[in-house]
Amino acid sequence: MKDEKSRSMVTPGEAVGTVAAQSIGEPSTQMILRTFHSAGIASVVTTKGLPRIIELVDARKRPKFPMMQIYMEKGIANKYEKVREIWRKLEDVKVSSVVSQFEEDFRTGSMVLNLDKERLALYEINPRFIVSKLSKMESITADVDGDAVKVKVKKKESIKAMRTTFVHVLNASIMGVPGINKALIQQNDDDTFYITTSGSNMEKVMEIDGVDKWKIYCNDPFEMARVYGIEAARNLLANELIGTIKEEGLTVSFRHIGLLADAMTYTGTIRSAGRHGIAGDKDSVFARAAYEETVKHFINASVFGEKDPLRGVAENILIGKQIGLGTGKVKLAVKKEDIKKLKSKER
Amino acid sequence: MIMAEKIKCNVYLDGRLIGAVNDGAAFVKEVRKNRRLGVVSGEINVALIKKLNEVHINADKGRARKAYIVVEAGASKYTSELKERLKAKEIDFNYLVRRGVIEYLDAEEEENARVAFTEKDLAPNTTHLEIDSASLLGLTMNLSVFPEYNSVGKHPITSNFIKQSQGLYATNFSKRYDPRAFLLYYPQVPIVNSLAYRTLKLQSHPTGQNFIVAMSTYYGYNMKDAVILNRAAVDRGLARSLFYRSYTDEERRYPGSQQDHFEIPPPTTDGYLGEHAYSKLSEDGIIEEEVNVKEGDVLIGKVSPPRFLEEQTSFGVGEEKSRDNSVTLRSGEEGVVDSVMLSETTGATKIVKVRIRSIKVPEVGDKFASRHGQKGVVALIVDPSDMPFTKDGVVPDLLLNPHSLPSRMTFGHLLEMLGGKAGALKAEQLDGTPFSTHGKDLVDQYGGILENYGFDRFGDETLYDGRTGKKFDSKIFNGIVYYNRLWHMVSLKLQVRSRGPVQILTHQPTEGKPRKGGLKFGEMERDALVGHGASLLLKERMLDQSDKAEIWICPNCGDVGYYDYIKNSAMCQTCGNNNLEMVEISYAFKLLLDEIKSMHILPKIKLKSE
Repeated sequence: MKDEKSRSMVTPGEAVGTVAAQSIGEPSTQMILRTFHSAGIASVVTTKGLPRIIELVDARKRPKFPMMQIYMEKGIANKYEKVREIWRKLEDVKVSSVVSQFEEDFRTGSMVLNLDKERLALYEINPRFIVSKLSKMESITADVDGDAVKVKVKKKESIKAMRTTFVHVLNASIMGVPGINKALIQQNDDDTFYITTSGSNMEKVMEIDGVDKWKIYCNDPFEMARVYGIEAARNLLANELIGTIKEEGLTVSFRHIGLLADAMTYTGTIRSAGRHGIAGDKDSVFARAAYEETVKHFINASVFGEKDPLRGVAENILIGKQIGLGTGKVKLAVKKEDIKKLKSKER
Repeated sequence: MIMAEKIKCNVYLDGRLIGAVNDGAAFVKEVRKNRRLGVVSGEINVALIKKLNEVHINADKGRARKAYIVVEAGASKYTSELKERLKAKEIDFNYLVRRGVIEYLDAEEEENARVAFTEKDLAPNTTHLEIDSASLLGLTMNLSVFPEYNSVGKHPITSNFIKQSQGLYATNFSKRYDPRAFLLYYPQVPIVNSLAYRTLKLQSHPTGQNFIVAMSTYYGYNMKDAVILNRAAVDRGLARSLFYRSYTDEERRYPGSQQDHFEIPPPTTDGYLGEHAYSKLSEDGIIEEEVNVKEGDVLIGKVSPPRFLEEQTSFGVGEEKSRDNSVTLRSGEEGVVDSVMLSETTGATKIVKVRIRSIKVPEVGDKFASRHGQKGVVALIVDPSDMPFTKDGVVPDLLLNPHSLPSRMTFGHLLEMLGGKAGALKAEQLDGTPFSTHGKDLVDQYGGILENYGFDRFGDETLYDGRTGKKFDSKIFNGIVYYNRLWHMVSLKLQVRSRGPVQILTHQPTEGKPRKGGLKFGEMERDALVGHGASLLLKERMLDQSDKAEIWICPNCGDVGYYDYIKNSAMCQTCGNNNLEMVEISYAFKLLLDEIKSMHILPKIKLKSE
């Protein structure tokens, strides 16, 4: 057992970073630059292929298509009605999404919202519910007018101001979690249900009763780090990377990806693998200057009187010294002269 | 709301909106009718873009246009009566164009046309007819034979190879001074050729030779795209060619009544190449004809005035310094001076052109290609005694690996082999014009000829191994293929370097063949060595074999000093210390330190003993 473990260890001085970079870089060149997304109702859109990898490695603050998977607590997971109740609370429904047609009248400062009955039925709401939500807004009054909703401004203003108010009304959120554009109920093989969403908001989703708070998946590393911690973000990064690569039919050993994810997260925050992240935080002035923005780094170094101990790979190649990796890692502990001295003593 | 009015059709002339018509289709029809009648210029093309409901009229220069026969009501306007008159030379092509029988279409109008490929394909809605089916292909492809039996992917490759072939490129070659030119010793007319080939009279400008080709492997020497050549054939002049390279130089005039001079440079000139280099020049500083020259020899001796104005010396007006600006033979080349020409430019300065000739005998590494995109590099030149031979004692010139055919689908190559063999036996040129033949009929026709002369109808023959004399187990397909020698030759590309010139700025090896450069060891190659942890190999590549420099560092102030060879001690200019340490670093790093210093940043080096 111990032997197996020690045999699995990387040899000291192995250039793990370079090998990882090569191992990830090589299949990436073969990946097709696929940015398009498939249109469809039954699936949640995500970025795929090389663009997704770039998104992850560059540590973009928000992915292009954030996504969540929400699992239910044990008792509820297999009951469709209960899951549907939670689903109802998720999708961010705006006034405009249930309105089929609206008429503005700037003379009286009012707007009539004709509602889409099919939509209302889908979200299981009625005009009264919308009115109750709208009445929270301070500048307007809202009333039910038959099947429609009538909105009137409290104080008549300029047309431009009224128009802005009406736009606010149309964009007002009636129900759901802000940030979640669409939610879909999906079924597992074991007849339990879970919900996938496009758009994410982990904090708010956790507040909903019945949601398994320990099992929310989100494809945004920053949100993951904020809610579940940096370890979770590290695992997310690694899994997303390897998943994206696998999807293209390519294979990269997890160790390389894991190393990249570790390098990006070990400081406690997520750093990108570029000039503002890992490469930009290097200790050596020369290593940073060799990468990008040469002049900036030299000037800053001179201002702060930086010292470069020349320990890294890039610096040593630059000056022409043997690098401290592989065969350059080891040094003789005993010097030649010492051996001679020892030998002469033995005599 | 505006009522749905009939949307008018916009008309654009050369991309600019000039108006609108109610019915675009009718308008286009009218313009075309008038063009054919000669009312509107025949250089105008008009196209209806249905998708956008627009009419595009093009009359600008630089459009590629192609001639088609006009078809009206399903009948070609080029009638048999016109055909007779054209044959009798009563009328000419331009007559047909003027009469609207033939018209030129550009890319946009072609989108509206329905072009019939042959007269048989004419249908009621056909608008045009190809003048000849072969005109579907371009000029170079028409020089090939049977291209319609090849994969389309091979067509662009074929036409590229034909353009790279050596042959008789011009009959006045002896009067020309092309920067570089190739001339085949014994160019031949292909046994199987095409209509376009004969029409263009390329028989007098052939590009290759008819090779006897056997489809056989040879002890693994023709794997992939390698081919085997017969030494006997090569010795008798197969694919042998001349290579001409011309060098030009001019006596340029400079401001201040200074001028270049053609002469043997005196030893006092700057950059004097040594007495030996100029030994072949005659008195006028220009080389003589029919002199053997080799690398480094000066062809045109030229002395130029100094590049910068002289500084005033204390000795007053000294002797005018001059600079050697001679033309030397390119590195790695040799040959004989073929001709020298002296003339005068429009600026009334002397100009010299020197043409060097060298014989290029096919050797291992030279490139050949048939007219079917089948290229090959000579991998071995075999003595005739070791080559396979037929019962008649025919030894093939070239051995082609049969694996190079199935995956590339160049059936035209097989047809040419068969046709070449049949044509050679019958002593006749055969026709392989694109789209003029039917594959099965061809095989029958060629097979018939071969059988008449006592050969297998499919071109297979029993071959005997030249090495052992034993019969090969299977019959081997052989025939005659027209092969081109392409101008990619090892003798013009081969280059080696162990040590050599370095760049002045960085002290790193130069780049490129003319400068005897090294091969780049780039960033990715560097990463590969880092990944392997091969630190000493990496150091050797990046330092020892590149820009190693020994510089003196002052342990006192950390600055770079120098070694004073007069006082025989190192010296620090900053603090006057004489006790410096010598370190080995890359010159690029020293340069970097200098550049940083130029930015008003003082880098200091702290030394540590290992």
